[in-house]
Amino acid sequence: MGIMTEAVVRTELERSADKDRPQPMIEARGLHKQFKTPVVKEGSFAGIRTLFTREYRVKEAVKDISFTINQGDFIGYIGPNGAGKSTTIKMLTGILHPSSGEVRIAGVDPHRHRRRVVSRLGVVFGQRSQLWWDLPVKDSYEILAHMYKVGDKERDLRLGQLSELLGLGEFWTTPVRKLSLGQRMRADIAASMLHDPDVLFMDEPTIGLDVTAKRSIRDFLKTLNTEFGKTILLTTHDMDDIEQLCERVMVINHGQLSYDGTIDELREKIGLPTTIRVTFAGAWSIPLPPGEILRLPLEVRLPTGEAFRVVETGPDYVRVEANRQQIRAVDILREMSAWGEAADIHTEEPAFEDVIHKVY
Amino acid sequence: MNIRYWLHLYFVLIRSSIRSGMQYKMNFLLGMLLAAGIQIAEFLMIAIVLNKFGAVKGWSLYEVGYLFAVMTLSKALYRSFANDVHHLENYLTSGDLDQLLTRPVPVLLALMSQNFRMMPGELLQGGFILTWALHGMMQAGQITWIAVPFTFLVIFTGAVILFAIGLTTATAGFWLTRINELQTLTEDASQTAVRYPLVLYPVWLRSILLVVIPVGFVNYVPSLFILRGELGAWVLLGIVLVAAVCLFASMKLWTFGMSRYQSTGS
Repeated sequence: MGIMTEAVVRTELERSADKDRPQPMIEARGLHKQFKTPVVKEGSFAGIRTLFTREYRVKEAVKDISFTINQGDFIGYIGPNGAGKSTTIKMLTGILHPSSGEVRIAGVDPHRHRRRVVSRLGVVFGQRSQLWWDLPVKDSYEILAHMYKVGDKERDLRLGQLSELLGLGEFWTTPVRKLSLGQRMRADIAASMLHDPDVLFMDEPTIGLDVTAKRSIRDFLKTLNTEFGKTILLTTHDMDDIEQLCERVMVINHGQLSYDGTIDELREKIGLPTTIRVTFAGAWSIPLPPGEILRLPLEVRLPTGEAFRVVETGPDYVRVEANRQQIRAVDILREMSAWGEAADIHTEEPAFEDVIHKVY
Repeated sequence: MNIRYWLHLYFVLIRSSIRSGMQYKMNFLLGMLLAAGIQIAEFLMIAIVLNKFGAVKGWSLYEVGYLFAVMTLSKALYRSFANDVHHLENYLTSGDLDQLLTRPVPVLLALMSQNFRMMPGELLQGGFILTWALHGMMQAGQITWIAVPFTFLVIFTGAVILFAIGLTTATAGFWLTRINELQTLTEDASQTAVRYPLVLYPVWLRSILLVVIPVGFVNYVPSLFILRGELGAWVLLGIVLVAAVCLFASMKLWTFGMSRYQSTGS
């Protein structure tokens, strides 16, 4: 590496250390990734003809993705299987070279300075362990400390902290292959933190875990973000992960970003209805224009022009749906209280899963 | 980059790789015994053939033994210190290469230090035949002691050439993914071929083994000078040069291949 690039990198590192305003930590500009696979022929001698074919099928895994993630952000990156999530992550971490477009991690290009960039990254792939499969857990940390040039003192200090937060003590000397999935994931996350990286890429860290294990992983990620200011990019299929951890979600579908914003805005945009169920103490009746009978769903229009829908009724309850962005719950309740004596009210927000399903 | 640091890291990784291997003691011991057994069997085969025919195309039993031993030792050296370069295909098909790429370590260094294994069977067999051949030729007055340091140099440059061939073949995997058949051709078959003097083969095959897959430079070409005084001392310098060029070219190709890495689906 030339002296020039060294100097450029250093100033960029210094710039990112400036804590006064949010610094862009991960930048993607116009990312494209195409995979070329030879067209598989059919019919006789298919195998040999495939071998000599010059036809390729170009699969565009990622099409023109751009975003900026600031230091200290906790981002959920979601999308259905095969949407291009992993491909994006691999480009951000320097594993794959983009077909076109640029990536900057704290201002540095991971493809031209891979080693420099990955020494500031922590990467966890939930599907496979990064640890030395046949060695005791503690040995993996020792090897990693050598790789990332972490001094003995620093290593012991950090392992002490991590061990406390993640409870590594119980399997400290167990070979990695004998760990339970939950233990392995904790060990893996600790391994990604040993060199105190600025950015964490978590690819499905809660996959296959039970409720308790999921919760402890989530708590730890939350701590890393809020108390240690780590920038975290999380991909997951568990919408609870996203809802509990991320301020901002990016949705990728068919290789393109279909949404980038806060969870609340996403709910708004999709506009799934909120359900309100009012249980009445006695009889209830909905005032109808003369000559009409109650037919569900029934639209009730307030004098102000806003509307909600009655979707279900029972002997002592009425269930209505409304879009909270268009009408206030108080107004609905005021209207409904005229129908009978309300005994109990139950509101239900649309499940985040359903919101996401709608985006996909 | 700091060479001393990479060397240190390489040995840390090799040490853990040995410790991993030791976890399965039975497999470890059996592997060692089998390798030694195969080597001895191979040697016996050649010994029987050569005993029967005496010399091949003017090459004595000792000289053929020398060719055989140098190839075995060079190969053992290469495969000990860069084992998984030969097994890159596994990393490509399973996507395990991704893991190596997330480390702040050159991928080649990480790959070389995986699954380290010593090859005591090969070392013993090669060392034994080499000693026997050198001793025999010295007794006959064909060579002097100077052949010994020359031989060590040649074993080392040979390992470098074999490494370069192995790395180039592995690099083809970035385009072809499956490369085990190609390896059979460029590594196994060609290495076996040059255990015998190249004069045995037709010109076209000889040219291939010198130009396309330069295994001939591992043992045959240097032995022309060391054992038979042909060509001249410049051959040794030439061999070093060939090794350096091969190494340089294969590293360049490897870097280029890495940029073509496509990974696997999630």
